[in-house]
Amino acid sequence: MSCHALKVNDLSVWFETDSGRRQVVDHISFSINAGESTGLVGESGCGKTMTALAILGLLPTSGVGVSAASIEINGKDISSLNAAQRRAVLGRDIAMIFQQPGTALDPVFTIGHQISAVYRRHFGGSKKHLWQIMLDSLEAVGFSRAEKIASAYPHQLSGGMRQLAMIAMATVCNPVVIIADESTTALDNSTKSLILKQLERLQLQHKTAILLISHDLAMVRQSCRNVLVMYCGRLLERTDCQSLYSHAQHPYSAGLLSCIPQVSANRPPRISAIPGQVPSATDLPSGCHFAPRCIRVKPQCQQSVPHFDSEDDRAVACFRPLS
Amino acid sequence: MMGGAWRRLKSDRYGMTGLFIVIVFSMVAVCVWSGLLGQGWSDVSGNRWESVSTTHWFGTNLLGQDILQRTLFGTATAFEVGLLVTFCSTLLGTVMGALAGWYSHGWLDEVILWLKGVLDSIPFYLFAAAVAFALQGIPWAMHLAMIITFWTTTARIIRGEVMRIKQREFIEAARAIGLPSIKIIFRHVLPNTFHVLLVQASIVFVAAINTEVILSFLGLGIQDGVSWGLMLAESSQEVLAGHFGNFVAAGTSLFVLLMGFNLLADALQDALDSRRATA
Repeated sequence: MSCHALKVNDLSVWFETDSGRRQVVDHISFSINAGESTGLVGESGCGKTMTALAILGLLPTSGVGVSAASIEINGKDISSLNAAQRRAVLGRDIAMIFQQPGTALDPVFTIGHQISAVYRRHFGGSKKHLWQIMLDSLEAVGFSRAEKIASAYPHQLSGGMRQLAMIAMATVCNPVVIIADESTTALDNSTKSLILKQLERLQLQHKTAILLISHDLAMVRQSCRNVLVMYCGRLLERTDCQSLYSHAQHPYSAGLLSCIPQVSANRPPRISAIPGQVPSATDLPSGCHFAPRCIRVKPQCQQSVPHFDSEDDRAVACFRPLS
Repeated sequence: MMGGAWRRLKSDRYGMTGLFIVIVFSMVAVCVWSGLLGQGWSDVSGNRWESVSTTHWFGTNLLGQDILQRTLFGTATAFEVGLLVTFCSTLLGTVMGALAGWYSHGWLDEVILWLKGVLDSIPFYLFAAAVAFALQGIPWAMHLAMIITFWTTTARIIRGEVMRIKQREFIEAARAIGLPSIKIIFRHVLPNTFHVLLVQASIVFVAAINTEVILSFLGLGIQDGVSWGLMLAESSQEVLAGHFGNFVAAGTSLFVLLMGFNLLADALQDALDSRRATA
């Protein structure tokens, strides 16, 4: 078996609050192969971003607890590293693309300065060398006039161009894993496809593994091979994209899919929603967290937690899966 | 970004007037430092209280010293006090404020806030007098008193700015590329407070010159040399006797320079505001 680019083993995140422990990520495990994209989908507040920040070790140290059996990048466990060793990995082996390209760039420095600073942080090099590396990375994401972009300040670029610059910044060190957290949510559809296309191209070139966090199922379908469905901090289903869309096994996945507005010529779009709301992390229902909203609920669902097999390629945490 | 700020400053007539005044005065100060102007400030070159003439443009004082020479030399004194106090207190205030803001609600923040609270609760002139008394004979006593008390305002402002900036996403992005805290503070947080710092520094500069005049007037200020404050102190006796030379020369210089600086500071505040710059 080939080595996974990213392998997360038994990761948990919780908040310490006055009213007790709030579990936001509940013992999840998954892995991504080199050169593959995996989508992590779920409703807002289900713990997607927390998972990403926990992998990178960027959560605040006070009031937040993180535990993981291991988080491996190319077989190397980064969860046991100390702060300085971890910083050496961040940006070099694992990079993150943030949701808001407008605010994730420092407003007082040029794009070129910021991109070359990432490379200099990890590899050093002469000014001329850094400049060339930076221009290459800008050209690689599709900027034809890289020099001009390099000397621009973030506020002089449009949202899409900033996001491309963010991708150039994330890929300049040629990382093993890129985590893209809702990276295209703030962009319009054509810009979105452009960004995804560039990401895909870079991925093919460098065999990068991408964890694409999104609530946009249509986008995940376009660009990912595998998909993880998350709800209230737990993984409910893992499968390849094709089978999720053709026959989702978990009622929640099916519910999410039915929420994608269908546009067709001969009838007005129907918009459906999963009934009920995501429960608060302070009082999660016992048993399956989705049980109160589930149409196929059985008494068993409210008493015990369905098993999720983390080794299998296809897995579903449900007592009464569809199909 | 700086280009835009300069463009906005250039179109502000009051700001440019202020800048012009400040440049003229600083050129005088530079000429004094390089020995081209005001070197005869302590020479007795005439009789007591001579009136305005071609040899003594502003007349002479009680001892027969030329008031113009003393005014010019006083400009250099004002700039020396202003620059030194501004530089030191801004540096101290920035570092303290950045640390307090970055580690806000931690022990370091508590210590810095406590120190600031203690210093701010002592009446300033009393404190300056105490420092001047404790450091008798040391010419920097007044400067030191000002630095110790002036950094607190800068620190408070920077602390607030840092607390605001550290919430922004690009700070998290800086963490995500593996920068340690101390580098994030100096490379990404503080450069974003630059516009606030520049304005605050110009305010401190004005306050320092102002305070020097008051302290010198009270006899707590400049020990050797002459300053506008010392001239005003002299004039407090002379004005009653009908001699206005010292009073007019020092008072006008002080007024014009401080007004120029205030105009410039106001214009800078508008020109450097990043919210306008990005809009």
